[in-house]
Amino acid sequence: MNEIAVQTQNLTRRFGKFTAVDRLTITVSRGEIFGFLGANGAGKTTAIRMLCGLLLPSEGEATVAGFDVYKSSEAIKKNIGYMSQRFSLYDDLTISENIDFFGGVYGLSPALIEERKEALIEQVGLGDFRKRLTRDLPLGFKQRLALGSAMLHDPPIIFLDEPTSGVDPRARREFWSIINELAAAGKTVFVTTHFMDEAEYCHRVSIMRAGKLIALDSPGKLKESYGRNNMQDVFVALVNDEDPRPEEQL
Amino acid sequence: MTKIFYMIRKEFLQIFRTREMVAILFIMPVIQMVVLGFAVTNEVKHITLIIADRDNSRLSREIVAAFSNTDRFDITGRETDVREIGLDIHRWKAQAALIIPNHFGRDFRRGLRPDIQMIVDGLDGNAAGVSVGYAGGILREWAEAQARQTPRLAMVKQNTPQLELIERLWYNLDLRSAQYMVPGIIVVLLTIISMLLSALSLVKEREVGTLEQLMVTPLSRFELLMGKLAPFLILAFIEFFVVLGAAQVIFPITMKGSYALLSLEAFLYLFTTIGLGVMISTIAKSQQQALFLSWFFMLFLLMMSGLFIPIANMPQFLQDLTLLNPMRYFMAIIRDVFQKGSGWQYLFTDTWRMTLLGTLIFAVSVLRFRKRVS
Repeated sequence: MNEIAVQTQNLTRRFGKFTAVDRLTITVSRGEIFGFLGANGAGKTTAIRMLCGLLLPSEGEATVAGFDVYKSSEAIKKNIGYMSQRFSLYDDLTISENIDFFGGVYGLSPALIEERKEALIEQVGLGDFRKRLTRDLPLGFKQRLALGSAMLHDPPIIFLDEPTSGVDPRARREFWSIINELAAAGKTVFVTTHFMDEAEYCHRVSIMRAGKLIALDSPGKLKESYGRNNMQDVFVALVNDEDPRPEEQL
Repeated sequence: MTKIFYMIRKEFLQIFRTREMVAILFIMPVIQMVVLGFAVTNEVKHITLIIADRDNSRLSREIVAAFSNTDRFDITGRETDVREIGLDIHRWKAQAALIIPNHFGRDFRRGLRPDIQMIVDGLDGNAAGVSVGYAGGILREWAEAQARQTPRLAMVKQNTPQLELIERLWYNLDLRSAQYMVPGIIVVLLTIISMLLSALSLVKEREVGTLEQLMVTPLSRFELLMGKLAPFLILAFIEFFVVLGAAQVIFPITMKGSYALLSLEAFLYLFTTIGLGVMISTIAKSQQQALFLSWFFMLFLLMMSGLFIPIANMPQFLQDLTLLNPMRYFMAIIRDVFQKGSGWQYLFTDTWRMTLLGTLIFAVSVLRFRKRVS
């Protein structure tokens, strides 16, 4: 597979007069955990939706897994897993039924569905709950299950849109350990978050403000170049427009 | 194609997960049909009638007896004062009054052709016309009987018209309202269930966020919609037969046509209603809006289908507009098949128009339904 997982060039999306994403240019390599940071409404979700083929860009170029977002959105869908901030499993189906369903619509054979279902239930630790309705699960389990369901077809790229919002710190940590395992296995993880401690786990983070990319580097380098001790302070400095550097350097 | 199978299975699992859904699908429509089947009738019966018999002779009493011996009229009072009669009609105590004048019996025997007056509340024009017709029939019958009994009343004989109309009713000999109305009600129930459920189930997935998840799967738009809609097509079809069967057990109605033909027509019709459901789902942003939109459409479909009001009675402009109403066609088709046992050759025009309309509605709705978020 291509070493470049996601590439965009001046990717722009406007809603009427409002520009949600403004000339976004990024390159994400295979195996990378790429963090997308920004305040609410900064354009993270819009960017991710364009990359998943859910939303057509207004302007600019983008390829995901080597496929063009304008022409080959259906091919992209076979190569990505997507988990949105809204809970994406069916509440009124059991855990087992949900996995069967998502495996089925991704075109997996019944034997493969069965195999991956067992692995997933094992991994999330839901062995005794497979016949339970999904709505009865604690949120942390639900999110891990949703992640697993979005990845039943073993996609090389995973988009996670605020996957841990509303989840307690311990469940968040467990969630991130799964993300790390995925990246170690060569998967590209594209994740948006507004938890700055999570930003520390990313290989590289990009920070968006009002649709524009205002910083892009590894957490270590960002802290160094802004002279801050943690990502929280870097983020606050950046979104408050305290950027001391000239724009060309960004 | 196996992806559609997974979609359909998931939809059925969700539908039958809640017991309320089974009630909504199969018990509610039967209740509605039973109640409405008896309620929605255009038969005029038990017209409340005041008798003003000012003559009180043998003949006038015979006439009153003739009126009390039919279930068309209920005699609710006797009153000779015209002003009181007027007040009673005003107070909704009576719909009509029959006034037999003084010396009626004497004048009739003398062949003076006395008048009998009938006053009718014309508020409901249809019922008023029908009650005048009934009264005329009762009086004519009575007069003819008199003429036969007493042939010396030659004058009366002359009164009988030279030209006699012989009535012969076809298809619904007993003028049973249920025979005509119940199939119509079945159409309405079928429409509500198929249109509303398909619209709500699509909007619900959008509201909850699962539609977005489906959109990032490799399911094609066709597979996604077919998987969502096929269960409702199947359920509406089953419901159609449940209600059709129940109707024939409960009401004195007979199905004269072919079930195979009726099923085919119902199938074609369901395409249009489910298509409308998809259309509503592409407009509505919440389940609440979908519900209101469905009712907006439903009222037009219903009132302009010919269920209550014959389309031929409408202004020409609205008659032309009903050509865009899919329910109009199926309403005509089901009544034809049910009452007349019509074969396909008689239904051809309605069928191709309904199919064309259904294809258009379905195609437009499917095109409007995008695999992208807006």
